[in-house]
Amino acid sequence: MASSSTIQLGSSSIAQTNSKAKINFSKKAESEFFVDNSALAGFTGERILYMAIRELIENSLDSCEAERILPKIAVSLKLIDPLIDLWSISCEDNGIGIRSDKVSIAVCSFLTSGKYVEQQQRGLFGVGLKMIAAFSTKDTDHPLRVWSKSAEEAKEYYFELRTDIGTNKPIVLTKRDTKPKESILRGKSGFRIEAVLRGRLSPITKNRIHDYISQTSIVNPYAVISFSTDDGKITFDRRTTIMPEPAKEVLPHPADMDLKTLKKAIGNHALQKTTIQGILCNSFQKLSFDKAKEIIRIAGIEAKQADKYNEHELIKIVNICRQTKFQSPNVDHLSPIGERIFTVGMSAERSIFTRKENSISEDHLQPRISTKEMKPALTGYSSRACIINNRPTIVECGLAYGGNLSYFKLYRFANKIPLLYDEGSDVAREVISEVELNKMGVSKKQVKEQFSGLDSRSDRAIDLLPIHIFFHICSTKIPYKTAGKESIASEGELKKYMKACLSDLYRKVSKQIRHEMHLKDTENRLKLYRYYIPLIVDAISESIDVSAEDLTKSFLTLVERHVKKEVSHSPSLKVNAESHTAHNVRGLHESSRSKEASLVSKSSKPLKIKHVDTTQEKIENFITPSEESR
Amino acid sequence: MAAMDKRHKETTKKIKLIMKDICNDVLSEKKMPSFDITKIGYDNTVWSEAKRMLTVGTKTVHISPDTTKKIPTFSQYVVMSNAVRKLLDEQMESTIRGMYYATLSTVGDEKNKQKFWTSQDASDDAIKAVELLTGVPREEFSVTSKPKGMISGPILLRVGGDIIDCNLGSRATSQLIPTNIMDVEIVDVKADFVMVVEKDTVLNNIRKSGFIQKYNAILMTGSGEPDRATRMMVKTLNEVWKKPVVVFADADPWGLGIALRYKIGSESLSYDSDRLVTPDAKVLGMMFSDIYDYSIPEVARLTASEEDLNRASDMKKKQWLKEKKWQKELSLFLKNKEKCELDAFFKHGFRYLAETYLPQKLRASGIL
Repeated sequence: MASSSTIQLGSSSIAQTNSKAKINFSKKAESEFFVDNSALAGFTGERILYMAIRELIENSLDSCEAERILPKIAVSLKLIDPLIDLWSISCEDNGIGIRSDKVSIAVCSFLTSGKYVEQQQRGLFGVGLKMIAAFSTKDTDHPLRVWSKSAEEAKEYYFELRTDIGTNKPIVLTKRDTKPKESILRGKSGFRIEAVLRGRLSPITKNRIHDYISQTSIVNPYAVISFSTDDGKITFDRRTTIMPEPAKEVLPHPADMDLKTLKKAIGNHALQKTTIQGILCNSFQKLSFDKAKEIIRIAGIEAKQADKYNEHELIKIVNICRQTKFQSPNVDHLSPIGERIFTVGMSAERSIFTRKENSISEDHLQPRISTKEMKPALTGYSSRACIINNRPTIVECGLAYGGNLSYFKLYRFANKIPLLYDEGSDVAREVISEVELNKMGVSKKQVKEQFSGLDSRSDRAIDLLPIHIFFHICSTKIPYKTAGKESIASEGELKKYMKACLSDLYRKVSKQIRHEMHLKDTENRLKLYRYYIPLIVDAISESIDVSAEDLTKSFLTLVERHVKKEVSHSPSLKVNAESHTAHNVRGLHESSRSKEASLVSKSSKPLKIKHVDTTQEKIENFITPSEESR
Repeated sequence: MAAMDKRHKETTKKIKLIMKDICNDVLSEKKMPSFDITKIGYDNTVWSEAKRMLTVGTKTVHISPDTTKKIPTFSQYVVMSNAVRKLLDEQMESTIRGMYYATLSTVGDEKNKQKFWTSQDASDDAIKAVELLTGVPREEFSVTSKPKGMISGPILLRVGGDIIDCNLGSRATSQLIPTNIMDVEIVDVKADFVMVVEKDTVLNNIRKSGFIQKYNAILMTGSGEPDRATRMMVKTLNEVWKKPVVVFADADPWGLGIALRYKIGSESLSYDSDRLVTPDAKVLGMMFSDIYDYSIPEVARLTASEEDLNRASDMKKKQWLKEKKWQKELSLFLKNKEKCELDAFFKHGFRYLAETYLPQKLRASGIL
């Protein structure tokens, strides 16, 4: 009895499960998938407005840089309904625009992008803009308003769009060419988008947006970026007209080959009836015809028309390629910021800050935003090219020291995008803690003695120094630590190269920092004299008949001379600093430009892991901003 | 008193001269003021065979505000000189602690304030510097320390206008040795010899036993490290009044060190040895060998510390302890690693120290 009932129970529960597990297989549209999994693209809760601004600015910068147009970007973020957190967000640029027949899908259809190429760009996935469109469609009844004037059409079009989230297709409510009177895009080409989004703007998010914009201006000093909010408007002016070499599209490197890339290459040549060798050497870089023949020979597959191979044969080719040594990939598809632009950015970094003002009409304090400019005493730049994960990667490191900087700060950029979150887990933080301060020629103890007066939140010596360190990693495949793309992992030898760059810079600032510490020391000594001289003078003038005033005056003159004399005796930067006349500065610029060029033009030669700076430049790299402006 | 005034005037004059030199350097010569003073300490102390005492060497220190480190020192010396000048002008006297308070101040501004003196030690050093600068011992410019030396026995002192008889019949107390020695005068000494002991507790025990009356002795103690007044009194009794001096201290390197202060002087005051040291004083005990000769029971012995042993090995190398007797004593100590206080004799009875040990020792050395 007992056993039969058990069986019965068991069989009935199985039957139950079966009836419930009837799975409906259905296809989800890309748009629906991304809306349901918005965290994949970083659009979560409080971050929605931040991400939207970020995506729009990045698209605008990419659009301008594609054709070397000096970017002029106007972003605005304004509250339109505080009750339901409705915001109007807009972004206008003078980039290349989008052709009128592509606007609707470029704005609304997920995974449609002009950026699916092997080339360094800010955005890569064709998700960001679509996310804004989808969220706007999902949360509001407002259409997206788009103005676009592409360079080839030279005509401005106006669109009102929404996304059909269920099908990943755009819904075009309005499309018309604007009359000259109505047109708003002033340049030869351009793009403007206005969207209404629902989202909360917490003070933290607000600060992140400010940080994002000001840090973007550091690495894009050739861009004019204005930002309007309910708290006022600020504009980051253009500080240089030099733009980085735009990234070029390159062929994939054979070491990175897989079945997918190979089949795609064969597909591209389907009509030409070529041999597999031909396809290999035409579709991949660093692969000669002879080398291709060699690969086929080792793979041991027969010669036939390229599209006749099956996957079992093709995978052999892939495996051979993965084992074969090729020349290092070239870096044409990377666009480092370069010393000159980086230096401009670092020499005048601006940050947005909010201050509360008494508005006349109301009682409460009205926050106003404005910018504060940092003027470091000197800046340094160093870079390294290397291979990380089979991808060429360029590490750029900058350092700003002294001047009106008052505390330590680390800036991280990946492909010219500021990284704001998760600093603690970023490889850059490890690099900073592992590079010894004594590379600057000062000891931790000295630093603590001389700089501990500044507001110190940490007892790490580096945190006491008025130093800003900038890391920029560019690669087509940044080794992000998490899907959120906010911190970089210590992948391969990346850390080693970053450390080498930072060490360079520490050595570069060494002279200056020691000089400054010396000056500081002198100042402290004079202060000490000023403290003690009154005591000495009082004691003497009480004992003997002498004018306290005269004695004080003479004594102070004497010690000033005494201290200064000692300064000039000791090793100082003075002589070097003065020799940096205008022609030296010009010389530096030329050399730095040629270096930028060399980074890119070296493509035909194998990319060597080498120290980019020459010793000569190292010495010349010390220019204070004031000298440069001269 | 007239002589005193004259000396005070001389001191004041010397101080003013130093001030004038500083002014001259700053106002006319346009150079950093500086003065050299004799270096104090072990590295500028030399043994003089002729004088049989520690004397000061030839090293000097350059005092000038020419480096950051030396600015405070220079100011301190100048400020202290002025304070001494004021003290003399006002015809007052002060302890060294009083001078410290009189010159207390802070240096710097609100944000960065520090004390002018880090501690009284710094001000004591400045007083020593004024002594060296003026060549006048501080007692002569009325800066004294708190009295702690004690004296008992047939000796008559005049302090200021008052006569003090140290031969106190009650045996119940002793007289403090005044530190303002410029005001002290020895009127009469009836004793046959002077016995100096390390500690006041021991002195009290001996006095109570009637030792003074029985042997016609003067008992003195510096209560540990003797102050200058005590040392000078011992020297005067020995050299002016021709009284033999014997010293008893604990049988440990520390006690031996104190006994030697009287006989050969000290490193920190080597510049003033001529006024303070009594080379003819005899250090009679307590010897390390006494621990065993007088069978001090083991419970009353103490184990020597590492520091004691280091000190003893250092002492063994000193020229002034090259005598065979001392070498033997120190070797004994280093071998047995045992030390002993004079108080340990109380184990043999409260009168043993005064009535057995001391007389035996004194007889052996021919004092009695």
